[in-house]
Amino acid sequence: MRMYFRELKAGIKSLLIWTVVIALLIVVAVVKFSAFESSPESLAILDSMPPQLMEALSMRAFNLTTLEGFFGAMFVFFALMGAMAAALWGSEAIAKEERDRTVEFTLVLPVPRRQIVTAKLLAALTNCALFVLFAWLISVAASRNYDPGKSLFDFLRLEMLAMFMIELVFLSLGVLLACASKTPRRVGSMAVGLILGLYFISIFAGMHEKLSWLKYLTPFGWFNASEFFSSGRFELYALALTGLAVVLFLFAAYFAYDRRDLYF
Amino acid sequence: MNKAIFRYEVRQRWSSVAIWAGSLAGLLLMFMALFPSFSADMAAMNQVLENFPPELKAAFGLNALNLATLEGYFGFCFVFCQLCLAIQAANYGLSLVSVEEDELTADFLLTRPLSRPIILTSKLLATLTSLLVTQIIFWVVSLASIVLFKGEAQYESRGIMLLLGSGLIFQLIFFSLGLVISQMVRRMHSVTPWSLGLAFGTYVISAFSGILGDVKLEYLSPFKHFDPGKIIRDLQYDTRLVILDVVIVIVAIGVSYWLYQKRDIASPS
Repeated sequence: MRMYFRELKAGIKSLLIWTVVIALLIVVAVVKFSAFESSPESLAILDSMPPQLMEALSMRAFNLTTLEGFFGAMFVFFALMGAMAAALWGSEAIAKEERDRTVEFTLVLPVPRRQIVTAKLLAALTNCALFVLFAWLISVAASRNYDPGKSLFDFLRLEMLAMFMIELVFLSLGVLLACASKTPRRVGSMAVGLILGLYFISIFAGMHEKLSWLKYLTPFGWFNASEFFSSGRFELYALALTGLAVVLFLFAAYFAYDRRDLYF
Repeated sequence: MNKAIFRYEVRQRWSSVAIWAGSLAGLLLMFMALFPSFSADMAAMNQVLENFPPELKAAFGLNALNLATLEGYFGFCFVFCQLCLAIQAANYGLSLVSVEEDELTADFLLTRPLSRPIILTSKLLATLTSLLVTQIIFWVVSLASIVLFKGEAQYESRGIMLLLGSGLIFQLIFFSLGLVISQMVRRMHSVTPWSLGLAFGTYVISAFSGILGDVKLEYLSPFKHFDPGKIIRDLQYDTRLVILDVVIVIVAIGVSYWLYQKRDIASPS
């Protein structure tokens, strides 16, 4: 328990910075939205935009003159930011001990390694949840000027849930990387490389019909804003794959960390 | 310049350069492989687009990038490559000298009978070599993928050359900004969050304008200075912005020398 609070305290600054960044993003975006709201003719051009391009940028099916559509088009940025924050928090929590040479101290405490990973994981998870919560609050607050209806709040709830799911996947991936890697210094870069790779795969998936199966490979494909925007719920396979990935990654992480040789 | 440091640094970055160049090549080949099927669908779309007023098209950057043409499509892919190039360069700049402090090797390095400017110069040149190697591989792969997948398409090679040529100065901006940031903070524990913030922050700023039309804020972002759409359309760089970038690079590197000269190095405790 004490370890959990220690980790939580250590992560506050990072959480704060990420929150400020996403707040700026949302506020700037909503200000820009005002330009769209009043010009229905911009809709016409969106309709005529090449579907592949829209699909690739996951903007398809969004009516940018409504706040819902607007937040839908923003989802890519939310998802990317959530993924990065979560992966960095997850990997940092484990890897920083080795980088700062405090790992011997931590591991000779009369606490099993599993418990250490759990405490760090829970702290990072709390951070992730708070991050989504803040993003949600800021979005709701920022859209107040535009007289939002219930449908916006429903969609925002869905969108933030999707962001949280993506965070879960990347959080466990980050923990796994840090637990299994022999070079903790590289873990951050590896996580970023993976995120970018998976993001690009989701772009490819949208660019061509024959490649649409690629979306099953990446969390950014499982939670496609234009899909859950029109259906109002998540696909079953997306939830199943999320659960599977999280369980698998965490299981592997605990397994690897228990057997880890800590000379560096 | 000190040859030993130079050689050591180049060797240190070797695997990193290989990974970055490899992933860039993979990304580009993947994108370009989609071009033949993509361009066929686009041609029909463009006829529809012809009928829209130019102001509206400008708002969406559509007049800049014609995705049915090879250079337009290449420009579309190039943005994603720029993102990778920016992260790589920012990583190298941020870690150039800060890594020594983080790995507690700074006192070893700085007690050599070499002045700090010489050390910094050697490291700087070594990293520039790494970036240049990345660029050369990137150029070769780009041209090869274009030849491989262009099919029947005709294209304007000048625009492509201009795009590829912009890569190096683009990387230098992120590299020098990273370097000067690493000298301004007291201790840099982890490079990744910083480089992500720098590269992604500026990317998001410019991507925003792509979706949402005009706002002046975008000129903060180097991605906007070398906007592929604009380069392809105008077939030239925006001279004022390029000069501005060169000045930024020079000032940032100069300030880094100055800061490094008087930097208080944390000792291993």
